[in-house]
Amino acid sequence: MEIPDSENGGPRGPSAPDVAPDSEIVALLTDHQVAIRLYVHSLMPGDSSALDVVQQTNATLWQKRGDFELGTNFKAWAFSIARYEVLNYRKRQARDARLVFNEDLENVIAEELPNRSGDFDSRREALAACLAKLKDSDRNLIVHRYFKRAPLAEYAEQVGRSVGGLKVTLHRIRNALQKCIQQNLLTGEARP
Amino acid sequence: MKPQERSELIDALLDGAISEADFLRLEAELHVDEKARRDYYERLELTTLLEIQAEAEAADLEERIVPMPATGRRTAWFATAGIAAVILGAIALLSVVWAPDPAGGPLAAKIDSRLEPSATGFAVLTNQADAVWDSGGALTEGDLMPQGDLHLTSGVIQVEFFSGVTVILEGEADFTIHSPMEMSVRRGKLRARVPAPAKGFRIRTAEGELVDLGTEFGLDVTEQHSEVHVLDGEVEWSPKSEAMRRLAKGKAIRSGNGGGTVELSAQPGAFIDATGLEEKRAAVRASRRSAWLTHSRELRRDSRLLAYYPFDQPAHWNRTLTDESGSRLDGAIVAAQRSTDRFGFPAGALDFSPTGSRVRVNVPGEHRSLTFLCWVRIDSLDRWYNSLFLTDGHELGEPHWQIMDDGRLFFSVKKRDATKKQKDKQVFYSPAFWTPALSGRWLQIATTLDLDARKVTHYLNGKILSEEAIEDEYLVEIVRIGPASIGNWSDPSRDDPHFAVRNFNGSMDEFAIFGTALSATEIAELYENGKP
Repeated sequence: MEIPDSENGGPRGPSAPDVAPDSEIVALLTDHQVAIRLYVHSLMPGDSSALDVVQQTNATLWQKRGDFELGTNFKAWAFSIARYEVLNYRKRQARDARLVFNEDLENVIAEELPNRSGDFDSRREALAACLAKLKDSDRNLIVHRYFKRAPLAEYAEQVGRSVGGLKVTLHRIRNALQKCIQQNLLTGEARP
Repeated sequence: MKPQERSELIDALLDGAISEADFLRLEAELHVDEKARRDYYERLELTTLLEIQAEAEAADLEERIVPMPATGRRTAWFATAGIAAVILGAIALLSVVWAPDPAGGPLAAKIDSRLEPSATGFAVLTNQADAVWDSGGALTEGDLMPQGDLHLTSGVIQVEFFSGVTVILEGEADFTIHSPMEMSVRRGKLRARVPAPAKGFRIRTAEGELVDLGTEFGLDVTEQHSEVHVLDGEVEWSPKSEAMRRLAKGKAIRSGNGGGTVELSAQPGAFIDATGLEEKRAAVRASRRSAWLTHSRELRRDSRLLAYYPFDQPAHWNRTLTDESGSRLDGAIVAAQRSTDRFGFPAGALDFSPTGSRVRVNVPGEHRSLTFLCWVRIDSLDRWYNSLFLTDGHELGEPHWQIMDDGRLFFSVKKRDATKKQKDKQVFYSPAFWTPALSGRWLQIATTLDLDARKVTHYLNGKILSEEAIEDEYLVEIVRIGPASIGNWSDPSRDDPHFAVRNFNGSMDEFAIFGTALSATEIAELYENGKP
C-alpha cells in the first residue's frame, strides 16, 4: 500500500481541503503580526532593520501560503520562516555584521518564545492606559524614542539634558510601564 | 550580574547601543539563566508593543500621545496600517526577497523541504485493531489514507476525514475515499459520525447514495444489499431508481441490489463504535506487550548486555531507571516525565521534552564493539542535534549518538582533539530517515560499532539504513562510555560551543547497550519481538 508522492507546493484549487483559503491566511497573518514581530526582534535586538525582515517574512509567508495546511500550527510555521529570513538577512549583511546571539541561545529563544502568552491585545490596551498616566516630560521622551524614532542626542539637545541621563530616564519609564501593565492586567483596570 | 545591571544591559541591547563586551556578558547570562531570558522577553514585548502603538497612532501624533480607545479599534488597528502593508509588501517584495539564492544555499533547501507537504490525502487513520490489508502493507496510526480502491481483509479501523467525519470500518471491506466529504463502499460495515460542519457527507454504494444531515449512522454493504441504520439525527437515502427518502433516528432501511426496499428498525449494537474499537485495540496491544515482556525477560539474561533499561516501571514518583541487565547500572531520571509507551501502556515510557530532561548513567569498561538500541517516538527534531545517548563532554574514545535536525542518525567516536588541520572524529551519518510525517510514531533505532570489522551500521525498524567503513585515520583502539546521558548531553561548558543542552524532543521506551555489535539478523529479531 503506497502513499502517493507529495504534491508540489503552491496554491491549490479550492477543492483541496487542507489548503487554507487566502482569506484564512490573511486572518492568520493578521493575528500573528505581533508574535512574528516579537520573534524577529528577539533575534535582532536593537537592529532597526528588524522591521524589514518582518516584512520579508510576511512576503514569504504569503508567497508560500499554498504550503500551509489549515489546522496545523501557523505560529510554528511562521516562526520557522521568520528565522530563515533573519539568517538570510544576516547572510546578505555579512560584511557589517552586527552582534548576533550564538545559535544555542537562538534555539532556546525559538523554543521558549512561542510558548509565551499570545494575548497581545489586552497588553496593548493596558499599555495605552499606562501611557496616559505618564507625566508629560516622560511621555514626551517616549514619543521621541518610539513615535519619532529620532536619535536620542537630538532630543537631549532640545531639552537640555545629557544622552546618558535620558537613557537612565528611559530605563526608569520602561520599568514603570512594565509594572503598570502587569498591574493593569491583574486588576483588569485598563479594561473598559 | 545583578538584576538592575542586567535590565540596563537589556535596554541598551534593545536600543542598539550595547558594547560588544556587554553584549557577550549578557548573552552568556541569557544562555544560562531562565529568569534573565524572561526579563528579556518581557522587555522585548514592551518595546515591540510601544513601537506598534506608535505606528498605529502615528497619524494622530504631534507632540503628545493620545491614548487609543481600548475598544472598537482593536481589530482595526492592525487591519488598517498592517494588512495593507502585508499584502502590498508581499507583492512588492516577492521579486526582491525570494529572488533565488544564487548559491542555492543548503539552508534554503532545507527550509523548503520542510515546508513541502509530505503527503496528500483526505483522511487519516487514527486507530486500528488487527487491521490486515489486502496489499500486505501496513498503515500506522497517523498515516494518511491512501487514495484509490482499498481492501481491508480483516480487523477494524478508525478513519478521520479532514472534514471532521469519523468512520469506523470493519473488515472485510472494500472502499474508496474520494474527498473529505465523499466515499464509496462496495462491501463492509461502517459506523460514521458526522459533525455539523461536515453536514452533507456522502457515501455511495451499489444500491444507492446516502447523504448525511449531521448525525450518526451505520451502513452495512454486502453483495446482496445496502442497509442504512440511523443512530442519531437524520439522513437522506436515495436508492437507485427510487425516490429519495429521509430517515430519522431509529429507522433503518434495506435496499436490495435487484431493487426493492424494506424498512427495518435501527440496531446500534450491530456497528462497532469508537469505544468498542478502543477495547479491541487495547486487547491487541496488551497481548503484544505481554509477548514483548516474555522476550524482554529472556533478553535480560544476555551476557553481552552492558546495560538494559526496559523503562517498564510505571511509578511516577520513582526517579530511578532500573538497569535489568544484571550490571546494576541504574540511571537517575532528571526532569523527564513518564509517558505512554509504544503499547499504549500508561507511564511505560519516558518523555524527554521537558527542558533539561535526561537519564544519567555511568557505564564502565572498555570495548571493541558496541550496539545502541532504543525505541523512540520523535515529536519533532527542532534542535540541530537531538540527543539519543551522549557521553559527558567529548573525551577521546567516547561515542556520541544523536539525530540531526534533517532526520539523519549521527554516530561518532572521538579520535583526537581537533586542530585547524584535522577533524577530531569521523561522523557516521545515516541517510535521513525521519520526516514530520513520522511524528508521534514509535520507531526502533539501532547503531552498531565494530572496531574489528571497521564499520558502523545504522538501523531503523530492524532494517539496515546504512553501513560505513571506519577510515584508518579515525580508527580508535578502544571505546569507553563512563558518565553519560540518555536523551541529552551533559557538561556543555566544554569544548565545542556548538553542542549544548539538546534534550530529545519525544519519548523513549526501552534502551539497550550491548558490548558487542549485534548482527543484522539479531536486530531484526529484536524489532519483531518488540514492535507494538
